Amino acid sequence: MTATVGPRSVAVPAVDEATVRRERSSQSFWTVVVGVPAVFSVLRLGVEAGGELQTTLLLVANVGPVNLVAGMFTTAARFVSTGLVAVFAIGSVLGVSAARLDGFRRPLFARWLDITPAWFIGASFAVAVATWHILYLPLLLPALAATLQLSPQRLHERRVPRILLLALLLGGYYWLLLPTVLDAWVQEELVAVLLFVAPPLLALGITGPVPRLVVQPLAVGTQAAVLAMLVWAAVPVITSPVLPLTVTTVDDGTGGTEDIRGHVVTTDDVNVVILQERGGVRYVPVDRVGGQVLCPTEAELPRHRLWVRDFHVDDSLLEGLGRRVRPVQRLDAACRTAVPG
Amino acid sequence: MNRTPAGLRSIATALSVTLTLTLAAGAGCQEKERSIPTVREKMEKTHINGQPKLTVGIGISQPLLSEQRNGVYSGFDVEIARYIAESLGYRVNGAFDGVDDAVTLVQLGTEKRIEALQSGDVDFVVAAFSMTEERERDISFAGPYLVTTQEVLIPVRLRDKIRTIDDLSAAGVRVCASGGSTSQQELIRLGIKPATRATVRECVDGIIANEYDVVSSDETILAGFRYQHPGQFEIVDMPFGATELLGVGVPKTDPHLRDLIAFFLNKSYLASRRGEANPWQAAYNATLGNYVKPGRKQPPPQNVPELVDFDDKTRSR
Repeated sequence: MTATVGPRSVAVPAVDEATVRRERSSQSFWTVVVGVPAVFSVLRLGVEAGGELQTTLLLVANVGPVNLVAGMFTTAARFVSTGLVAVFAIGSVLGVSAARLDGFRRPLFARWLDITPAWFIGASFAVAVATWHILYLPLLLPALAATLQLSPQRLHERRVPRILLLALLLGGYYWLLLPTVLDAWVQEELVAVLLFVAPPLLALGITGPVPRLVVQPLAVGTQAAVLAMLVWAAVPVITSPVLPLTVTTVDDGTGGTEDIRGHVVTTDDVNVVILQERGGVRYVPVDRVGGQVLCPTEAELPRHRLWVRDFHVDDSLLEGLGRRVRPVQRLDAACRTAVPG
Repeated sequence: MNRTPAGLRSIATALSVTLTLTLAAGAGCQEKERSIPTVREKMEKTHINGQPKLTVGIGISQPLLSEQRNGVYSGFDVEIARYIAESLGYRVNGAFDGVDDAVTLVQLGTEKRIEALQSGDVDFVVAAFSMTEERERDISFAGPYLVTTQEVLIPVRLRDKIRTIDDLSAAGVRVCASGGSTSQQELIRLGIKPATRATVRECVDGIIANEYDVVSSDETILAGFRYQHPGQFEIVDMPFGATELLGVGVPKTDPHLRDLIAFFLNKSYLASRRGEANPWQAAYNATLGNYVKPGRKQPPPQNVPELVDFDDKTRSR
């Protein structure tokens, strides 16, 4: 194929339409990867400020972009990696099934997967391994098997060694998790039992194309569900705090003290600026500050009483490792204050 | 219908995908749910919720347990009161002197403890309070936080004369006990009629003034007076009835506060079982540890509720 340019006919290499689309998609993809966190960061500041314009501007003026990005990564890495892993796994299953779609365009997630570099897929899974709660980590097994289309046949071409290898892998997995599964069973945590037991078995069967009749409904249903899930899961990311929660003990001027529960926005030679937990900004003279303690929030409370080999299931691997380095968490009495200041 | 291996494989794939998505969705929906109440939720149901200050009843002048010197309170019961108060969110700044503190200590005689709880004069009582069925009709107990036995304190000049319970019944032996105490009831049950005073200290002062020969009370209380009067007194180990379980008295009308206190005592007990430093052991070592039988550990609290707290993840199974 040739193209004619200008008055003189010059033969130039034809640009493949698919390549152009691919490049355009890639640009869109990276725009999303960079733009979405930026937009989320600004939204988070607005929510943190309680919707007040002046407070938002105060936060914008005092929260550095590096702090904002670091804070965003800390709280959003789990959410983002969940979305990406879901897109890759579903996209891969739909991709291998797409040949059965007569007259339909290749599903959206399959096209996204097509344009995603392998290193990005690997990085997404790595972030998921590090940041997902341990309770949900087993779900990465079927997700990984689906994304890479790792069927049991890939383990070994011969049947007997393949079965032996599978038995060894599954045996190791269940040996690791058996005490936790038993605890979950005793505590009647049925979802936890299923989350630990089922994923490796599901991973064995998740590769390959789905039946032709299922492809289109699965594509539409899962893509809509994942996008809806991302919107739903984005709410806690936007509402999670940007600044750490503290209780500042202040001399109230009458010989007593007052505990102010909130987020320290900035401190200068004159004032400590505190965004109160219940709303409103307090400027407290530095010489009246008697003490300050860091407090956890209710959102950090565990939801299960289960441990995998001394790692709490509501911790990520990173958090679990951190807890091993500094195991003692002392809660100051001021953090228990029943009425938020 | 397609029943080829490839067809079956497709059906297995569709089933696996569907089950995985269902499991992930189920896990996502369940993530916000918590079946066990949190400490804060429990706190909001107590009568102290929103109270700026906490009032705690302690015993009157019981060395090693609760005494006031130069305006500063000290002793094992005082340290247990401090631990519970701080766990409930009421900070005590350094020495327990009532200045700038969110906790006010009120000294109560043995007979006033139940009355003070029922009238609401104090929020809870940590005053060597024996957990008995009779008392549990009027108030609730969290604990025990200490197990002790009833013994007698005698002046060293009588060490050859008073060695057994029978010696206490002998003519001429003047026995004293604090009124309303379980020790008094046990003496009466054994046919011994003690003189009663408001506090054990008054009995001890009576021995010094030669009004009495013997005072009977919990070993932990008597140990305090032995510490306060070195060389003058001796504790005689006598086989009185059952061991005394000392608990934290709480108003009967506030089961949530009882549960919270039991939960915090249990937190210290679990740390002790794991061989970790804990508030109970620190309080014990600093006070009673050198004056009672060695090797004592925190007893397991009874009826401890399941609650979720911030340090749950660091607690091993």
